[in-house]
Amino acid sequence: MQLRDFFTLEAISLDLAAETKDEALRELVGLLGLDEKSRGILFKMLKRRENLGSTGIGRRIAIPHCRSLVVNRLRVAFGRKLPGIDFDAIDKKPVQHIFLIVAPPLEVSNQYLPVLGRIAQFGKEPDIPERLAQIERPEEFIALLEEKGV
Amino acid sequence: MHPQLELLLELQDLHTQRRALQDEPLRDMEEAVFDLKPEEALDLLDAKITELVGRLDPGIQSRYLSFIGTLGRAVVPVLNGICYGCFVATPTAWSAEAGRNDSIGVCAHCGRFLYYVD
Repeated sequence: MQLRDFFTLEAISLDLAAETKDEALRELVGLLGLDEKSRGILFKMLKRRENLGSTGIGRRIAIPHCRSLVVNRLRVAFGRKLPGIDFDAIDKKPVQHIFLIVAPPLEVSNQYLPVLGRIAQFGKEPDIPERLAQIERPEEFIALLEEKGV
Repeated sequence: MHPQLELLLELQDLHTQRRALQDEPLRDMEEAVFDLKPEEALDLLDAKITELVGRLDPGIQSRYLSFIGTLGRAVVPVLNGICYGCFVATPTAWSAEAGRNDSIGVCAHCGRFLYYVD
């Protein structure tokens, strides 16, 4: 399993318009191409997860995630906001890089946990925040995942 | 979408989140990576679930509680005409009509609430 297999170019935004955490979550959900009602429900579930504790893991990275009935397979998206967004992260610093992961309650191949783990591991590599900040095109994001072998 | 179905979806997702926090690998990751406090999180989820269950219509509420209590899943997706609770095909007429999720449908075979997924 490779992370690059889950990301599509359409689900990568290197210049989020969002100014707030809620706006960022909505914008990332919007990258998944769901209908309006499903987007609303998914946003609500992501907010509920954030209310339990922020998914901002520090080093300017956040990984909002949840399971929901409104998706029929594991979906991921990546959004970047270089000026940063207040995400109430562990280190209290603004978040620039946001990885969204959503999955249905039951998956045949059960990829949710491994994908979440790999993204967390990827985000902890020392050079990743800086490398992500330098990317200019979505293809370079995919290439970075491949380079890191995650 | 029917407002009560929307509520049911939200409740089922909350139950899924609750179950996930009791599942060791994910709970460990939530603690280690996200610094989450599982016990506090479970209390918050329980309070929200109680609040939302109180907003269900009585007939829907009793069916919901019955399924959650016994089988763990009260709301299941319909994919390609198949109920993903019991894996039995739903009637074609139902699938066509319920595709917009504008009504509350239950599986004729297992009785769970159905949510049509594209």
